[in-house]
Amino acid sequence: MEGSTATQLGAKMDLKAKKRMEKLQKWQGIKRNKLLYLMVLPGFIYFVIFKYLPMGGLVISFQDYQPVLGIAGSEFVGFKHFIRLFTEPTFVLLLRNTLILFAMNIFIFFPLPIILSLMLNEVRHRFLKNAIQTVIYIPHFMSWVIIVSISYVFLTVDGGVLNEMLSSIGLPKISFLTSPEWLRTVYIMQIIWKELGWSTIIYLAAITVVDPQLYEAAEMDGAGRLRKTWHVTLPAIRPVIITLLILKIGSTLDLGFEHMYLLLNSLNREVAEIFDTYIYTAGLKNGQLSFSTTVGLFKGLVGLILVIGSNKLAKKFGEDGVY
Amino acid sequence: MKSMGKKLSVFVLCSTLLLTACGGGKKEAGQKAGAESNERPTITWLNVLHTASPPTDTILKKLEEKTGTKIQFSWIPDASKEERINTSLASNSLADIVTLTALSNSSVRNALKSGMFWEVESYLNEFPNLAKISEDTRKSAYIGGKLYGIPFQKDLARNGVIIRKDWLDKLNLSVPKTTDELMAVAKAFTEQDPDGNNANDTTGFMDRSDLIYGAFKTLSSYFGTPNHWHVDENGKMTPEFDTEAYIKTMDFMKQAYDNGYMNKDFAVTAKTDQQQNFAQGKAGIYVGALVDAKNLLNMSKGIQDNMELALVNDITSTGNEKDRAIWAANNGIGGLLAFPRSEVKDEAELKQVLKFVNDLMDEDAYRLMTNGIEGVHYSIDADKAVTIIDNTLWQQEVQPFASSRPKENGYGIHSADPLKQQSDKLIQDNAKYAVLNPAYSLESETYNTQGSELQKEITDATYKYILGKADVAAFKESVEKWKKSGGAQIIQEYEEAYRAIHK
Repeated sequence: MEGSTATQLGAKMDLKAKKRMEKLQKWQGIKRNKLLYLMVLPGFIYFVIFKYLPMGGLVISFQDYQPVLGIAGSEFVGFKHFIRLFTEPTFVLLLRNTLILFAMNIFIFFPLPIILSLMLNEVRHRFLKNAIQTVIYIPHFMSWVIIVSISYVFLTVDGGVLNEMLSSIGLPKISFLTSPEWLRTVYIMQIIWKELGWSTIIYLAAITVVDPQLYEAAEMDGAGRLRKTWHVTLPAIRPVIITLLILKIGSTLDLGFEHMYLLLNSLNREVAEIFDTYIYTAGLKNGQLSFSTTVGLFKGLVGLILVIGSNKLAKKFGEDGVY
Repeated sequence: MKSMGKKLSVFVLCSTLLLTACGGGKKEAGQKAGAESNERPTITWLNVLHTASPPTDTILKKLEEKTGTKIQFSWIPDASKEERINTSLASNSLADIVTLTALSNSSVRNALKSGMFWEVESYLNEFPNLAKISEDTRKSAYIGGKLYGIPFQKDLARNGVIIRKDWLDKLNLSVPKTTDELMAVAKAFTEQDPDGNNANDTTGFMDRSDLIYGAFKTLSSYFGTPNHWHVDENGKMTPEFDTEAYIKTMDFMKQAYDNGYMNKDFAVTAKTDQQQNFAQGKAGIYVGALVDAKNLLNMSKGIQDNMELALVNDITSTGNEKDRAIWAANNGIGGLLAFPRSEVKDEAELKQVLKFVNDLMDEDAYRLMTNGIEGVHYSIDADKAVTIIDNTLWQQEVQPFASSRPKENGYGIHSADPLKQQSDKLIQDNAKYAVLNPAYSLESETYNTQGSELQKEITDATYKYILGKADVAAFKESVEKWKKSGGAQIIQEYEEAYRAIHK
C-alpha cells in the first residue's frame, strides 16, 4: 500500500516536474523567438482592438437596447429577439433567398473563372493574352451603383435597349427589373460581368508555377492540349481551388448588401430580400438595433459553421484546407 | 537583450506620449471653443440637405451677424437622412440643434420619448416669434402629448396635378375636373401624338416609385381616401388601405398602367428620372408637389421650349365641389428642431439656442434664408414681389437655408414669377380642403416597433395590385395579414390613445 502510494506520489511529482519542464521550454521558446513574437504583436493588437473587442457589442442582441441608456442601462430580455427572428415568417423567406443566391454563387459563378483562366492559359499569343486580361479586369473597379445603373438603362421597359431589341423582332417586352422571376438571373449575370475577370488572377498565378517538366512528360506520353489541361493543369491548381472555395463559403451569407439593395424593390422583395438588406432596413432605417444585431449574429454563426464544416470536409478528402 | 528591452520601453513610452498628446489637444480645443463662446455662442446644427452640395459661406456669415452667433452646420443628405439620424441617435453624436424630419420613424419617436431631448413648450412664450406658433401646430407636433422641439411650419397640402397645357390645347382638350376626365386626357396624350412627331413615344402619366409623394396618394385623395387613418364619431379607427376608396385608386392606377397611359417602369423610377422624362416631353401629366412646376419648366429649357404647364388642384372623382379633398403631409409639420440634453447641458444653454431659433424667424433673417442677399441673389419691388436673379446661384448658396426655415411663409414676401405665384396660390387654396391624419400625434407602442415593417407588406401589395400581379382577394389577404401580424394591435392602441384625448 505504502509503496504504491509512494510510486503514485512519485509519478505525480514526475508529472508535475514534466509539466513544469514543458512550461519552461515553452517559455524559453518564446524567449528565444521573441523578435518573431514582437513582429506578430501589432497584428495581434489590431485583431484584438478592432475585431474582438467590438464583439462585446453583440451583447445588445440580448437586450432591448436604447442608445440613451447605453449597454449598461438597457434592459436584458434574454432570447426575445432570437425568438422573434425564428418565429417571424420573414425568416424563412430570408433564409431561402439567401441560400438560393448562395448556391447560385457557388454552382454557377464559382467554376467560371477556373474555366476562363484555363482558356487564357492556352492563348499562345502573349500580347493578346495580356490585352484580354487587362480588359476583363476593368469591370471589377466599377461600383455596384454604376453597374446596376447601366443594367437599368439596358433592361427598363420604357425604352431600355434590350426591350427595344425584343420588341423589334416581335417578342413581348419583359419587365426584368420588377418581376421576381428575373431577379436572380439579373443578379448573377451582374456578378459574372463584374467579377469574372478579376477572379481569374489567382488561378492564372497558380497556373504559372506548374512545373513545365510535367507538360513535357505528358507530351511524351502523347497527351494533346485537352488532356494536358485535364491531367496536369487542373490537378496542379486543385489546392488553390479548394482554398478559394472554402473562403467563398465563409462569406456565404455576405451576398453583397450594396448590390442587392440597389436591385430590391416592392415587386421583387419576395425573392430579393436577403439578410444583409433586412439588417439595414430593420436596424438602420427603422432603428431596431437589438433585433438587427440578432439577425447579424445569426448570419455570422451560420458562416462560421459552414467554414469549419467545409474545411473539415476538405481535410477528409486529403486536401490542406485553409488552416 | 537589454537593449531590446530598452527599445521596447522607449517605444511604449513614445506611443503613450503620443496618445496623451492627442487627448490633450482635444481638450484644449474644447476649452478654446468655450472661451470664445463667451463673446459669441457657437451653435452646432445637424441639418438635412436637400441639394446636391452644402451651401457656401455667403449666407452663413450674414446669418451669424444677424443672430450674433457662430453657426456650425453638419449637413446630412436627404436621401440618407434616416440611417444617418438613426446612427447619430444610437451613438449619441449629436449637435445643439438636430433637424428631425421623419417623426413617424420608430427610432426617432423612441429617442424623443426616452427623454434624450429637451421638452420646450413651457419656454416658447418667452420668445416673441416662438410664442406665435399656434396651439394647433403645437398639438400636431406633440409626441406622446409633449412638444420636444420647435416644429417646422410647412404648408398643409402641397400636392396637385401638373399638366402640359400646350398638349391640351393641341388636342382641343380642356383642363380635367374629374378623375374620369383625367384618365381621358392620359389616354389622349398616349394615343393622339400630342407632341406631333408622328411617333408613339408619349404617355399620359409620369410617375415614380413612391406611393406617398408620387401620384398615388394625391389621386387617392380625389377618390376620398382618408389620410393614413380614418376615425369615425365613435372613435373607431380604420387604416386607409382598408377602405373602398383606396381600392378605387388602385383600380385607377391599374387602368392607366394596363393601357400604357403611364410609364411602365414607374415602380423602379427615381424622382430625378421622373422629372427628367417629363421635361424631355415623354409624358404630359405629373402628379406631385405643385411647387415642382417651376422646376420642371426650368429643366425643359432647350429641350421642350414650347412647354406650358397647367396646375390643377380641384379634381374629384364625383365632380362635386363638396368632395374636394387633398391629403396634408404630416399635418403641416415638417419635423422638429430638437435640442439634445447631451449637447445643450442646462436651461441657460437651452434658452440661448431657443433665442437663436427665434432670431431665425425675424424678418431680416427670414429674407436672408428665403431669397438670399438683395441685389446679389434677388431683387424685390414695392409689392414685395421677389425675382431671383440667378437661379443656379440661388440653388447653390441659398436653397439649403430656405429648406431649413422654421416657418415657410410670412412677411408678405412672394415670388414675382407667375407660375410660382400660381402654385403658391393653389397650395394656399388646398389648405381649405386638407385632410389631416388623425393618428399623427397619437402613440402606439406596436406602431413604434413594427409599424414601418408592417407598412412594407401593404406597399408591396399595392404595387402588385396595380401591376396586375395580385387581385382584390390577394390584396385583402395582405390587409388581413397586416392586421394579424400587429396591425390590429396598432388600431386598438390608436383608438385608446384617441379616446384618452377626446373624452
